[in-house]
Amino acid sequence: MTATQIDSNKMPTKGAIIPAEEEINKTIVDIFKKSLEKKCFDAILIPVRVPETEAYAWVLLKDQSLLDEANPLPPIISVQGAKALRSLTKRGKMTQNIAAILRPCEIRAAVELSKLKQIHLDNISLISIDCPGAMPLSDYLADPEKSKKIYKNVLEKWGEDDSVRPVCHICNRFSLPSLLHRKSVKISPVEQDEAKMPSIDLHIGLLGGNQEKIFLIPVNPKGREILEKLELKSDDSLDLWQTKVSEVQEKKEKIRKEFNLELKEKIEGQKKLTAVFDECINCHNCMRVCPICYCQQCFFDSDSLTLSPETYISRAEKKGALRFPLDTMLFHLGRMSHMVLSCVSCGVCEDACPMSIPVAQIFSLVADQTQKSFDYTPGINKEEPLPLQDFLEDEFHEVETPSEAMTPEEVN
Amino acid sequence: MKQDFKPNIVGFLCNWCSYAGADLAGSSKLEIKPYLSVIRVMCSSRVNSNLVLNAFLWGADGVLIAGCHPGDCHYEKGNYYVRRRFALLKKILETLDLEPDRLQLSWISASEGKRYAEVVNKFAEDITRLGPSAFHTNPNI
Ligand code: SF4
Ligand code: SF4
Ligand code: SF4
Ligand code: FES
Repeated sequence: MTATQIDSNKMPTKGAIIPAEEEINKTIVDIFKKSLEKKCFDAILIPVRVPETEAYAWVLLKDQSLLDEANPLPPIISVQGAKALRSLTKRGKMTQNIAAILRPCEIRAAVELSKLKQIHLDNISLISIDCPGAMPLSDYLADPEKSKKIYKNVLEKWGEDDSVRPVCHICNRFSLPSLLHRKSVKISPVEQDEAKMPSIDLHIGLLGGNQEKIFLIPVNPKGREILEKLELKSDDSLDLWQTKVSEVQEKKEKIRKEFNLELKEKIEGQKKLTAVFDECINCHNCMRVCPICYCQQCFFDSDSLTLSPETYISRAEKKGALRFPLDTMLFHLGRMSHMVLSCVSCGVCEDACPMSIPVAQIFSLVADQTQKSFDYTPGINKEEPLPLQDFLEDEFHEVETPSEAMTPEEVN
Repeated sequence: MKQDFKPNIVGFLCNWCSYAGADLAGSSKLEIKPYLSVIRVMCSSRVNSNLVLNAFLWGADGVLIAGCHPGDCHYEKGNYYVRRRFALLKKILETLDLEPDRLQLSWISASEGKRYAEVVNKFAEDITRLGPSAFHTNPNI
């Protein structure tokens, strides 16, 4: 099977280069201040530092002056951005124009949720940013001051500082534009409307800018319109950015491959996997914070799994012993089978795990393999159906018991 | 391999094709290994991952899902959807090295009594060879 194809001719090649006067953060914030002033948007959804604390929260801003505390790349992911967008639009679509500035994995989760009809993306401009990763929540909370210094280094060294979370360390989807024009060979033909296809309008490129400049990259006609309103010409070359993105990409692909091989070694097989989940305290935090776990009531929180006391006794008798609470393995494998094709490797499940179980690493590993076999990359194309809500008549014959009538070639 | 091991196999058979195929196999007096506990479902697409995983965790050594041949599903598309769900579950088990061979998907029509017997017997042989599944013998799961 041909894997994902990326049409490199369609990568954006032109954008606006903005010199960074002081801090990168301020340069970005200034652009969004201007965007409110020029009425590109009516409001902006962006992470903001909660005054006098070390916490970050998602804030819907209408007032320019409040943007000063905004930070498009906080050192941590507290609430997954897609969850914030979901609470904003669950009841219906926005009637005003909103810009939402999110990390790539948050954008991709939002696109998956829009396919599940839990987010309305109408009138929302998704704006992505090159992401160097985020730090583990526990590290940050233990020493916010030190963490902020480390994070500065993370931003400067791109991919070389591994103080970021393991899923960030191996993240190969840190810059969205390179993924946008992928063509899948395994989905049914979808509407190929160019204007609708990319999930984002605008991308903020940091790579290749050396902290001295940033790249504002329009990804579709709407993005170009935004730049026009900002009175920015979008005909600067993006060569510097593209070269650096490809360079980091190559490095990350290699790291990811090696990391996953090692991880697989540690968790594969019933014995090892049981040992990994042995410490699980069944709190279901991982499910609750996961942006993809979409159910109002999780099946594994419901009573459908509870049986009568007599049944437990008889099962304990059969096995010799029965561990309580039950269903740890069923929860993890079941959750996986529900949502792993849409898992965006964002890592918030792992951040939320009180027992430091590498949940996100495991889900991410399985996501890679399963998504590859479905030739599906979640969160890229809004029009691409969810794999389990779609099918081709002629596919996956390798999982069927061969029919006698089939010739050996067909069985293959 | 222990000679006396009698595997527990759960078979989810769709009402319209495979269950009828099983019936035909029975009434044709074909020899069928007695290890399959049959659960009749209205359509193969009624089977989801929780049913399969639960079967494994509570004692199955193998799980067979059987439905109408593609194109023949009485609800038109059910078996196409279950094939995708099945492919996903199989890939998960494969990636985590959790003995994916204990899971099988077959298309058996109402007139294929002989095929039914062959599929069940072959699967029973394979599972007997694999031995008891650690998933239900491990008290820690
Ligand atoms: S399973 Fe974990 S890594 Fe995957 S989408 Fe959910 S929270 Fe993110
Ligand atoms: S684990 Fe499954 S049932 Fe529970 S919330 Fe996630 S998708 Fe829904
Ligand atoms: S968050 Fe950790 S301890 Fe809680 S259910 Fe998930 S894996 Fe288990
Ligand atoms: S009715 Fe037999 S597979 Fe759907």
